Amino acid sequence: MMTPELSQVFWLYSIFAALLFITGLYCVLATFNLIRVLVGVEILIKAATLLIIVCGQLTGRQALAQAIVITLIVIEVVIMVAAGGVILCLYKHNHSIDTRKLKNLKG
Amino acid sequence: MLSLFVSIPFLSLIVFNIPGKHSTRLALFWSAFLFIAQSALALLFSTGIINPVARQLSRIFIFKLSLDPLSLLLLLSIGVAAFAALLAGNNLFREKSQKSNFINLLMVAVIGMNATVLAADLFSVYIFMEIVAVSSFVLISIQKDRLALEGAFKYMVMSSIATCLMLVSIALIILVCGDTDFGVVASGLCAQSGNPIVKLAIGLFLCGLFIKSGLVPFHGWLPDAYSAAPSAVSVLLAGIITKVTGVYVLMRLVISVFGINPAIQNLLMLAGAVSIAFGALAALTQHDFKRMLAYSSISQVGYIILGLGCATPLAIAGAAFHFFNHTIFKTLLFINAAAVEKQAGSIHMDNLGGLSEKMPVTGATSVIALLSTAGIPPLAGFWSKLIIIMALWSAGNFAYAYIAVIFSVVTLAYFLSMQRRVFFGKLALSLESVKEAGAGITIPAALLAGITVAAGVGFFWVLDKLILPIQEILR
Repeated sequence: MMTPELSQVFWLYSIFAALLFITGLYCVLATFNLIRVLVGVEILIKAATLLIIVCGQLTGRQALAQAIVITLIVIEVVIMVAAGGVILCLYKHNHSIDTRKLKNLKG
Repeated sequence: MLSLFVSIPFLSLIVFNIPGKHSTRLALFWSAFLFIAQSALALLFSTGIINPVARQLSRIFIFKLSLDPLSLLLLLSIGVAAFAALLAGNNLFREKSQKSNFINLLMVAVIGMNATVLAADLFSVYIFMEIVAVSSFVLISIQKDRLALEGAFKYMVMSSIATCLMLVSIALIILVCGDTDFGVVASGLCAQSGNPIVKLAIGLFLCGLFIKSGLVPFHGWLPDAYSAAPSAVSVLLAGIITKVTGVYVLMRLVISVFGINPAIQNLLMLAGAVSIAFGALAALTQHDFKRMLAYSSISQVGYIILGLGCATPLAIAGAAFHFFNHTIFKTLLFINAAAVEKQAGSIHMDNLGGLSEKMPVTGATSVIALLSTAGIPPLAGFWSKLIIIMALWSAGNFAYAYIAVIFSVVTLAYFLSMQRRVFFGKLALSLESVKEAGAGITIPAALLAGITVAAGVGFFWVLDKLILPIQEILR
């Protein structure tokens, strides 16, 4: 298991990752702007990426962690492209990217 | 051999998209053939005819794949649901470009689902789930309709949050176990089950999967996405996509990775029971046909999770059988909704009525599907609910067994109300000229209704060949 020194490193990074995670979640929940929601999701994914790197480093499985992170970045780009397309189409319909105008679905 | 379930659809996808002139019709027939072949192969594997060959050939692919009775049942469900959605989509999409986009994206989704079902590695599961999710975002917004875009965006944000939770959990699992392979992770988690990091990791992963499968209280996106999507897409989405990416992965991970312990069991049973109750009660109050089906879907997924939470071999088998039945009857009901939307131009139940005389096939298959959902013998849904309730009872979970029975009656109530408002009663004046939907919709509807009846009548054969073997994955 981890030596005290490594454990300290882990806590340092994981606290930072947790902060990033909270920032991202706050960004998703508090904003009314579709693009900012996406930025919030990005920040969330970044927190997860950071944590994966740290965990890979601490357990000596850097190769695994790197493979995972690179794949993750590719997937993230694909999601963001799809999301960007959806936002673009929504803008064409509503002429606005305000979430408060997205209240047609209810019940 | 297993890799063929992934690689052949992948190759076909490439061939469909070679630049130049190509025929949508050919792509349609080839995809239909592939989906039928997949179902047939899964059925053949289950009956044990070609198992020895498969074991010899299963070591070709780079991803770690595994095949067991549960994956076979899933492959069968995916094949059937994709086939039905393909025919419905071919009928419902008007423009040629949309048709071809639909077929391609459907193929991507099927690749992702097949691979999710066969994967034996946490990170592979994540990748394939994302493939399915991205293809479904695009599928929902394929017609660039305003409501659909809104539903797609909600789904996208919720699904991204879910995957972030899962990624954090994967990171913690790497920290504890040093790998993402199912076997290694299972033994690693088992060895350190008291560790708070392990508990956090499992909790986060379960939370992510609850969002993905639309369980209460994470169900907010589900009715929006289902009801706003184009009809053919909601057939696919409700029938199989959220079931594979949410429910199946939950079953697989709880059974073979996280291990079953009382805390997880209680959590699952509670979530299942709450979803059953909330979904059924919310469905009672709906006026939109597809929205009602979406809430009904939440409720039925609750039964699957309740069976999973009970975690005796019988309950797991029942949950898997209900999964299969749910795929069949929910696909069928959404196809009926698609037929109504296309022919009558509305899915608001108050504007409809008496459609059964104008659309006999749709009306009749809808009756079969709703009776199966509500658990009326001898249809397939009765047997799966019976198994789940019996398992709950024999494990001593009487309260949950009562909830399952009571809300089965509520299910019947809201479906009968739907049937009366849409198909029975007096024909609304504006609907005088409505005709039966085309063969692209009635053929899959009749086929799925046939499967529901056949699986109910031939229950003992199905139980013996497909369902009971699933118990062996608990070992």
